[in-house]
Amino acid sequence: MAGVNLSGIIKRYGAVQVVHGIDLDVAEREFVVLVGPSGCGKSTTLRMIAGLEEISEGDLEIDGRRMNRVAPKDRDVAMVFQNYALYPHLNVADNMAFGLRIRKMPKDQIATTIAETAEILGLTDYLARRPADLSGGQRQRVAMGRAIVRHPKVFLFDEPLSNLDAKLRTQMRAEIKRLHNRLGVTSVYVTHDQVEAMTLADRIVVMNDGRIEQIGTPMELFNNPVNTFVAGFLGSPPMNQMKAQLTETGARVGASEIKLTGAINGNAGRDVIVGIRPEHVTLYPGDQTAALPIQLDLVEPLGSEALLHGRFGEDPVVFKTETNGDIAHLQGVNQVHVPASLVKIFDAETGRALRLEH
Amino acid sequence: MMNWNLYSRGDKFFAIMVSIMVGMFTVATLYPFIYIAAVSFSSGFAAQAGKVVITPIDATLEAYGYIIVDPQFWISYRNTFIYTIGGTIMSLAFIIPGAYALSRRQLKGRRFFNLFIAFTMWFNAGLIPFFLNMRDLNLLDSMFGIILAFAVNAFNIILLRNFFESIPQSFEEAARMDGANDFQVLWKVYVPLSKPAIATITLFCIVSRWNGFFWAMVLLQSEDKIPLQVFLRHTIAQLSDDDEFAILQTEAAFSAETVTAAIIVCSIIPVLIVYPFIQKYFEKGILLGGVKE
Repeated sequence: MAGVNLSGIIKRYGAVQVVHGIDLDVAEREFVVLVGPSGCGKSTTLRMIAGLEEISEGDLEIDGRRMNRVAPKDRDVAMVFQNYALYPHLNVADNMAFGLRIRKMPKDQIATTIAETAEILGLTDYLARRPADLSGGQRQRVAMGRAIVRHPKVFLFDEPLSNLDAKLRTQMRAEIKRLHNRLGVTSVYVTHDQVEAMTLADRIVVMNDGRIEQIGTPMELFNNPVNTFVAGFLGSPPMNQMKAQLTETGARVGASEIKLTGAINGNAGRDVIVGIRPEHVTLYPGDQTAALPIQLDLVEPLGSEALLHGRFGEDPVVFKTETNGDIAHLQGVNQVHVPASLVKIFDAETGRALRLEH
Repeated sequence: MMNWNLYSRGDKFFAIMVSIMVGMFTVATLYPFIYIAAVSFSSGFAAQAGKVVITPIDATLEAYGYIIVDPQFWISYRNTFIYTIGGTIMSLAFIIPGAYALSRRQLKGRRFFNLFIAFTMWFNAGLIPFFLNMRDLNLLDSMFGIILAFAVNAFNIILLRNFFESIPQSFEEAARMDGANDFQVLWKVYVPLSKPAIATITLFCIVSRWNGFFWAMVLLQSEDKIPLQVFLRHTIAQLSDDDEFAILQTEAAFSAETVTAAIIVCSIIPVLIVYPFIQKYFEKGILLGGVKE
């Protein structure tokens, strides 16, 4: 097992800089997820760790050893590709054995390793099949098997679940988590899916435009996003963000005012963005709640919950509420209530959070 | 079955015309084979009189009897095998690594090299400079010279390079992560994945080597080095003005025509035998299932 340390990692393609100085320490046995929109540099960063892309500037260390100029095969990392990249001309067993044969592992040892790994991944019955004869989930497992058999110091996952359908993705996500709990190998996982990030990660790294926006545990990021980008990226649906102005006692949004606990002294009149998580609202007032009048225009039932789409002032908002098995009573909703302590305030200009603690 | 009712008159007309054209082309391609085979099994008189159209007339194997006792036939037959097998192996040994190198983005000066190779497809030095070049390299009348001189063919390199380029990059990356070096990536991943393209090129090489006539005639002098095609030409030239043969053929049931046809049939047989074995590699979709795009 080993840690991975990135300091000041920069990637340029010719004159274009796409990754602008990444600093990240992945601890031994930790599962870190890089998440962000397409083109944010997360895959490039992962490929630099793998050695598939050159590092333009900065230092990469794996297990304390500088790896910038070390070939991928000598970094002792294994990667699971988005498109699996299984060798189509080889069967499952040979696909998994490929790397071991190249490393000249004795035949009987290869056979034992493959049998053990196939057992873990439930592939024992499929060892003689070619990739074309496997389902998407099975191929995904083979791709992981190929990484596992090598007992690498670090696993790298490049959006491994994005080609699976929703049901299989949920299932495989749980399998990856179980596998990590069992093997405890340091893992760096890239995804654009925030649900995968939240469920798998020990720590999440939110990236945007070649930079890290925030690093933290899933709940830290969920509860205390440092800026509007992180707030809008994590959570499903994402945090509602509304333009507002601070007053002495709260924030004014259009004609309404949201009362806030612990008002921001001396900042009255400042332009801000108010952030409210969809699931933080209730339909009934309580202690220390602020009322938000909304113009409801759509109710989307999800079963036990429903999404309320509407407008608050000029801004579109989405809230989530329990249905109690019936959505008829939701049609007339014209205001929701949010505990003042859960309302987030961000600077309108920089997008930075103005208060992190309550 | 086609449902003709679904087609407009124009479509029907087009389908009929296409069928007629394909039929004519098939006949034009197959007929020379059939004719030559029929002549080779006919009597000399029938062949000379132009009586053979599709089937052998006065069927006989005498023309074959005449050539198989000629030691020079077997020598040139052997030579053709040597040139074909040696030449094809030599070609693949150059073309596969060459095409792979040209397909890699990390190759420095890749555009230049690609242009350089393609250039030779359109322009070359021509017959006399090539001959002089071979002479100066001491490769005249040399079996190795024939094998080496025509080993690299720009068209085949470009064909295979394009195929390699179409293979998803992630296979190479996966192999590199698995610890493969350049040679292993090529040999254990790219070559197996490129079987259809390599089979095509192998067949091109085999056929062009097997039929190789002109340069063998220009570069080789010794009878014990000439391939079958040159032997065939010698035979045609000799038989038509050989008095001894003229006497012989009046007594036998063969003629210059039937002997020539018999040699041609003998020279076609190996290619016909090899083709089905190579053809099975022209399978499509070998990449299916390995990656998901």
